[in-house]
Amino acid sequence: MLRPVEMDRVVVAGSKDVMAPVIDRLHELRLLHLVNYSGGEASFEMGKPIGNAKEYSEDLIKLRSLARYLDVKNKVPDKTFSESEILSQKDDLLNSVGTEATSTFERITAIDAEVKSKQDQAKALAPLAALPLPLDEYYGYESLAVFVGTVATPVDADVARVSPTNDIFSGSTKTKTVVAVFVPAEKAGDVSSVLAEHGFSEISVPKLSGSVDSAMATLESDIKSLEGEKAPLQKKLKDMNKKYEDLVLATDEYLSIQIQKTEAPLRFATTENAFVIDGWLPSDQFGKLKSDIESAAGGKVHVEKLADKEAEDLTEHGEDVPTKINNPSLVRPYELITRLYAVPEYKEFDPSLLIFIFFPIMFGMILGDIGYGIMTIFAVLLLKKKFRTPGWQSLINIVLIASVWSIIFGAFFGEIFGPLGLWGKIMGQLPEHQIEILKTSGMYFGEGVYGSLGRLGPLGVFPMDRLATNAVLMLIGISIFIGVLHCGVGSILGIKTELNYGEKRHAYFERLPVLLFQVFFAVLLLGLVMGQMIMVYVGAIVLVISIVMAVMGPEGPMGLAHLPSHISNLISYLRLLAIGLASVGLAFAANQLGFYVIMPMLSGGAESPTIPAIIAGILVLFVVHFINMLLGILSPFMHPLRLHYVEMFTKFYSAHGGGVEYSPFGHVRRFLKV
Amino acid sequence: MPIADAGIMYGLLAVGAGLATGLAGIGAGVGEQGIGAAVVGVVAEEPGFLGKGLFLMLLPETLIIFGLAVSLILMFAWTPFSALL
Repeated sequence: MLRPVEMDRVVVAGSKDVMAPVIDRLHELRLLHLVNYSGGEASFEMGKPIGNAKEYSEDLIKLRSLARYLDVKNKVPDKTFSESEILSQKDDLLNSVGTEATSTFERITAIDAEVKSKQDQAKALAPLAALPLPLDEYYGYESLAVFVGTVATPVDADVARVSPTNDIFSGSTKTKTVVAVFVPAEKAGDVSSVLAEHGFSEISVPKLSGSVDSAMATLESDIKSLEGEKAPLQKKLKDMNKKYEDLVLATDEYLSIQIQKTEAPLRFATTENAFVIDGWLPSDQFGKLKSDIESAAGGKVHVEKLADKEAEDLTEHGEDVPTKINNPSLVRPYELITRLYAVPEYKEFDPSLLIFIFFPIMFGMILGDIGYGIMTIFAVLLLKKKFRTPGWQSLINIVLIASVWSIIFGAFFGEIFGPLGLWGKIMGQLPEHQIEILKTSGMYFGEGVYGSLGRLGPLGVFPMDRLATNAVLMLIGISIFIGVLHCGVGSILGIKTELNYGEKRHAYFERLPVLLFQVFFAVLLLGLVMGQMIMVYVGAIVLVISIVMAVMGPEGPMGLAHLPSHISNLISYLRLLAIGLASVGLAFAANQLGFYVIMPMLSGGAESPTIPAIIAGILVLFVVHFINMLLGILSPFMHPLRLHYVEMFTKFYSAHGGGVEYSPFGHVRRFLKV
Repeated sequence: MPIADAGIMYGLLAVGAGLATGLAGIGAGVGEQGIGAAVVGVVAEEPGFLGKGLFLMLLPETLIIFGLAVSLILMFAWTPFSALL
């Protein structure tokens, strides 16, 4: 679980006549992670595609464009097809259906373009309605220059100054003045600069005839009829989508598989008569692979497992061992978080299990509210029906498990939509004299809040009040403690990882001092708080030892530069408390505001509330709690994520670069029958 | 100058606590601004970088936690400080 699955390096060599059945079999098995042949050996060359790879590629391109026209999106299969069904329907789909979809789609595009151009014309025409001229008088002159546009100030006088012969029409719309200026062609330059001074902006007059109004009416009716033509075409595409969606996706899958198979030899090393396939597979699957391939090839193939020594040799020469992460189904969603950071290398640890343990607890500790927890579960269950892709499902499962923890912590903290003080009523208040005793011993923290950690409850500890002083102090301690544990586990994995790589010096003088420093720094602090001087001394001695070890390590005195960050790593865990406090504070404020408006008698106001006050109060409660809950899901998610990525993963992860995910040769069949 | 009034003392502590968290928040925000912009740019080019980008973007967040730690000490563990005066 914590380590990737053990892998073996395998070589498959055989006669070229059985290459096709071997490829078929390998593809079906989905076991072998191929290592591409990269050339370099004199007697071997890269294989050539078998069968008609070109034809399949062309078909796939046609199919993808059809899928685009029909707007086919990847989805959960409604029905599955056998390969023979695909073969019989493929040509029809690609040719007649394809042509129809293409022509329909192109017609829609053409209509859109035409509508757009007509709309532009209508827009240009609108201001011209202010002028008395019919449209055909604006163009078709040889000796005249025509300027049509809007101006900021009257232009008549200035135009007359540069060009005595002129004809000017002007009119105004609601917002602008429109002018049409006709001058002899040779004066065009002068007039244009005069007009520019008056803020002239040109309108390009569409070449239409008749009056402006009738031209507008024609344009509008044209647009309407074009839109009318478009609607049934769009419906047709939609119907086609519904009818062919699954078939298109299934054919896509079929063609992809065929291309994968035909192009597979490109990754093999071949000679004139033989081929060699290199790859990795999980150790326990070797027997199955060997017997299956040998039976498929009728004995004309040799499957061999390389000895560990040889495999190690290959990895040292730059071959990556693929990492196959394997976790029980409960932990699997958390692989999403691991992958988001990086796939571990083969010799590293897969931290998904640790995320599964720590992440929900941290989330719960931050959110810690029964009401919010239940609401989150409902919201997430609704989303689970809606978003069916694997990524979303993992995310939803993560939040689901985390919400359960937030309900558990909610019970510890006694919070239901904020600290309602319900527990005091359920458990009963303490008698007066006991409160006095608590006060004298400094253990009383306000009304309804008592016991050394807040309110009295089962075990004399829970439910506590997160806003009470001592609870805050205790939660600071717990946060740091979780930090020490979290970082400590990370450091231990770091030490083991370095040992896996055979780097003893790094393990004992770079990773181990961090572990010692953080653990005994915490011991020292605890000793100070509890007043146990023996713990302080032990802590201090080990701290010094760890610092000396760090200096002796591979980094030398530079290792000292990391010391502050070891402490800040631990302080960083205070966010577990801090973000929670912020959201409790907001919830508390909302409740205070809401309930005092709804029940004014609490604060000594009116005897009974008015109806508007009740509505306002409920609105405040609803809005503030809603916002608080949205924030309350987002930040408890992001911050533990950060604690994992920054504080924990850096202790052991990817010190040697990211790994390669195990992706065996083959294809998941979703739309095709197996 | 000795501060005699505990109320004023507590008030000043509260102001200090507010400043500590608030200024640290501004600092963290300024830091994250640049990183965030760069990360969005990289993720647009290469979505696989999201995890590492997130990691980088969240680094300055520690700053505000330091500010907050100071505030918490001031607000909840202030008694030792009053003894100093």
